[in-house]
Amino acid sequence: MQAQSIYIDHPSALHQLNPLTKLTFTLVFLVAAFALPNAVALIATFVLILVPLAASGGLLLPLLRSAFWLVLPFAISLALIQGFFSPGQTALFSLGPFTMTLEGLGSGLTFAARLLLALGGTLLLMLSTRPDKLMLALRQRGLPESLSYIVLTALQIFPRFQERARTILDAQKSRGLETEVGLLRRLALLVPLIAPLVLGSIVEVEERAMALEARAFSYKTIKTSWISLEDSRAQSILRAAILFFGVVLVYLRLTGFWPQ
Amino acid sequence: MNIDIRSVSFRYPSGQLALDNVSLSISKGETLALIGENGAGKTTLVKQMNALLRPTNGRVDVGEWDVAEHSTAQMARRVSFLFQNPDDQLFARRVWDEVAFGPRNLSLSEPEIEQRVNRALDRVGLLDKAESHPYDLQYTDRKLIALAATLAMEAPILVLDEPTIGQDARQRERVASILQELAAQHRTILLVSHDLDFCARTAERVVVMAEGRILADGPTEQVLAENEILDQAAVIAPQLMRLSQALKLSPPKLRVDDFVDAYASRKARPT
Repeated sequence: MQAQSIYIDHPSALHQLNPLTKLTFTLVFLVAAFALPNAVALIATFVLILVPLAASGGLLLPLLRSAFWLVLPFAISLALIQGFFSPGQTALFSLGPFTMTLEGLGSGLTFAARLLLALGGTLLLMLSTRPDKLMLALRQRGLPESLSYIVLTALQIFPRFQERARTILDAQKSRGLETEVGLLRRLALLVPLIAPLVLGSIVEVEERAMALEARAFSYKTIKTSWISLEDSRAQSILRAAILFFGVVLVYLRLTGFWPQ
Repeated sequence: MNIDIRSVSFRYPSGQLALDNVSLSISKGETLALIGENGAGKTTLVKQMNALLRPTNGRVDVGEWDVAEHSTAQMARRVSFLFQNPDDQLFARRVWDEVAFGPRNLSLSEPEIEQRVNRALDRVGLLDKAESHPYDLQYTDRKLIALAATLAMEAPILVLDEPTIGQDARQRERVASILQELAAQHRTILLVSHDLDFCARTAERVVVMAEGRILADGPTEQVLAENEILDQAAVIAPQLMRLSQALKLSPPKLRVDDFVDAYASRKARPT
């Protein structure tokens, strides 16, 4: 399973939690990312809640590493765009006709913090939950089989694509393709790199569909699973409490409780 | 052009030790088969030869080039590499363009490219399909297109990773005869394969690997008769070898003609 997703196996209480409990955490982190009013509140939530949760599952370093590299390009571009083009009173410095303002920069960094919290919450779920267990939990709550398969495939597709893209790059470099070139030449390289990825995937889709049908994928029946999911009354209460907290956040946001 | 691998170890970023102090010398014109179970380190070893992977420790020389000082694209002039799955490289709309991709990267003249592509397509029997879209052809033909693309590089060293996987008997015969032709031209050939019957037929030297180490290295007939070593490497000797051993033919035979001759002469011998 590890090769097909970003899941990292670790003997921790976080890993033992029912996938629905972790999904509830993620949903509330997503809600918080858009409901909390400013960068301080967002970063505080990240540091005081999400980081200890990740650390408890032995996932702190992979989570921080992935979140940092994913958010960094957005943080830089948001800070620049908002800093230079949002209205503000406090000028920090000028570049030609453009002036970076403190208010604009703050607004850009707040967007980046929202992204960090949302992404961190999602990574926490993906790093600590086997995709098949997550889908089983959702199916047991009534998610249709076909939809569950689509979600599962979507969760697994990036590591699979990454692995395949690496092999394609190796194959083309072995045929003399020079990849350390300028930007324009690099654009021309996209065809030999992307075409096998897309064409190969199309070929794979047909084979995958046939393999699924050969194993009675669309047969109408109640399907069993060899995976058993642990759940408890305590976890149900925890989920209800987290959801209640999420609803409170939305309420506070909608009623304008927090200053903008 | 010789290949010299000296005390090479390689560890993947995951921490897995894939090669453990491996040393191997391959002379110009040799046809060598690397065998062993999945995860033995065969593919990791051959990827050191064209700089797709670089040793964690040790050194690899191809001719007078230290591989560490060259890019994979530069190494492509010396080492041509066939990957297992042709769909990992095919992208052009015509078979001809696909095979021409490598020679074009070498900045050869158009007449030279044309000659190489036609020669390679002729060798694999796909010259009449040069205008077809690769994905309109069967998997076995796509595998041959990838082989033609490798041949068109005309590098002195060829590395073929599972060249017979997914091939029918006729295509397998074709690949074997291509390798024999290349061997006759003193090209160095490295086969990575689980197809031991094919290795026995085409390779003159066999290297057995397990857990990133070399367990045995020697002439094909000799190494494939070492049942204990093959057991350790979780591979099964070719059928003719096992039959020869069961019949106590000495030395055991790997080719049908040799086997028939040895068996017939034993039968003819007065008891």
